[in-house]
Amino acid sequence: MKRSSTLALFSSALALCAAASASAAQPGDPPDGLAKIETVVVIFAENRAFDNLYGHFPGADGIDKASQESLQQRDRDGSVLSELPPVWDGLTAKGVTPPVTQAMTEHLPNGPFTVNDAKGFNVPLSVVTHDLWHRYYQNQMQINGGKNDMFVAWGDSGAMPMSNWDTSKGDMWAVAQRYVLADHFFMGGFGGSFFNHQWLICACAPYYANADKSPAKPSIAVTDDSGTALKIADNSPKSARDGVPKFVSDGNLTPDFYAVNTMQPPYQPSGNDPAAGGDPLLADPAKPTTLPPQSEPTIGDMLSLKHVTWAWYSGAWQYTLDHGNHSPTPNFQYHHQPFNYYANYAPGTEARREHLRDAGLSGVSFIQAIDVGVLPQVSFYKPQGNLNEHSGYADIQAGDRHIADVVAHLEKSPQWPHMLVVVTYDENGGIWDHVAPPKGDRWGPGTRIPAIIVSPFAKHGYVDHTPYDTTSILRLITERFELPVLHGIVVRDRAVAAHGEPPLGDLTGGLDLN
Amino acid sequence: MDADKIVALVTAGGIELTDRRRNTTDDGWSLSFANGATVEVGDDGSARIAGKGSKTVAGLLDLPVASRGI
Repeated sequence: MKRSSTLALFSSALALCAAASASAAQPGDPPDGLAKIETVVVIFAENRAFDNLYGHFPGADGIDKASQESLQQRDRDGSVLSELPPVWDGLTAKGVTPPVTQAMTEHLPNGPFTVNDAKGFNVPLSVVTHDLWHRYYQNQMQINGGKNDMFVAWGDSGAMPMSNWDTSKGDMWAVAQRYVLADHFFMGGFGGSFFNHQWLICACAPYYANADKSPAKPSIAVTDDSGTALKIADNSPKSARDGVPKFVSDGNLTPDFYAVNTMQPPYQPSGNDPAAGGDPLLADPAKPTTLPPQSEPTIGDMLSLKHVTWAWYSGAWQYTLDHGNHSPTPNFQYHHQPFNYYANYAPGTEARREHLRDAGLSGVSFIQAIDVGVLPQVSFYKPQGNLNEHSGYADIQAGDRHIADVVAHLEKSPQWPHMLVVVTYDENGGIWDHVAPPKGDRWGPGTRIPAIIVSPFAKHGYVDHTPYDTTSILRLITERFELPVLHGIVVRDRAVAAHGEPPLGDLTGGLDLN
Repeated sequence: MDADKIVALVTAGGIELTDRRRNTTDDGWSLSFANGATVEVGDDGSARIAGKGSKTVAGLLDLPVASRGI
């Protein structure tokens, strides 16, 4: 579909939905309704599948309930692997002592393994481990139509996708026990962080117009006839036990120019420096990984349209602008800042000043706003890199403790009596999960991820089996504040219905508003 | 060190590969990573690291920043 048609459709949907919302709940409705929620907080961590952290949570659809089909990984020719390949280059991150080397991961049985198992590798939750491919086409190839049996075959890290952790002593496990763990919550889009942050705010795929005539041309992926899988290179190892697969072109853009893997923001802070002699507030547009400014409507635009206050709080945002980035702390992630790709929030705009806020180092400014009780009606919080739980550069424990600390502050906030908090992950990080995602549209949903609903209105000690995806957060915000519905949500709902799947919920399945 | 090995080591550290293409002189690869680092790796095994995240990438590869090495 051409972009102009998409926008026209959006405008129509906007008009329809604006009309529909006029008859929806109004302010002053009975206090037992959604209007009780006055403050929404979304905490967006990184790269964990549901089974990776909560696979043994009591009452949840965990690893114990996995079918034999999804437990056993298949090789690239479809045969069942006799054992898992080793974790290429080792299970632990560089510099970790003692390391778990590649050799130590040889001959693992074909199935899930627990990284912190005292009888196994016994690697604690405070250790950083090997990262895994988490990319748009690979995620679809790994899911394999819902069988989830090709995570190893189409990964780049050998056995690593089958890893999980015992987090039952973790702080967020305890939070989940007190409130609601949603065990059928799926990432909004296939693949990685860049794409799923876009789904959180826009329910859309970013677009690179005329990419075939741009510096990004070599980043256009080459797919097979299905259009959902990459074309495999002639020199690709035939077996997962022989090495990482190779593709003809594993690019960032689809053949019709949608950006589905990581591109850099067009505005600073960006991974790409300004052009020589150019505007220091911009990223060099001639760089092949700089995405042109986007114009699709976002949830931020919808909130602003209805005069609902909102902000995206980003850990280490101002620090990075002032001092540059540093690793391992704060390890700011440029592509985790989705509004920084949109012209409406370009440097110099009032919208940027108002809505893109610095959460401070380790979230200190965000926590201060919580404590004082001055959060806007809708807040998104993105922890800085070393606190986001992403494989390869962050450990689970630090992020788990940080997020639980933020939740503890939220529970004591003056705004708490009318608050709803959603703690979730952007995507699965390339890690296996046994539950088949609902069949949706071209873009997702992808693999199942953890989601915890925290609120005075949350059912207590409850596991919510309602199907959700990342856009369920947008559904909740849209319904609560009577916003026009983003076009991507309309498309997603229709696609899910067309496949005969149950509708994706709005998170109220975990609430008791009476 | 070849391009595949560099990509494997850097991406294992949680830094995504965002672009890979033959260089303009067709004697090596130009690699870009999500943290802003770029690595120019020659077919002869030489490597040059530059860009915002170069220190981190150099650490993962045990190579100096903006200097050639094997």
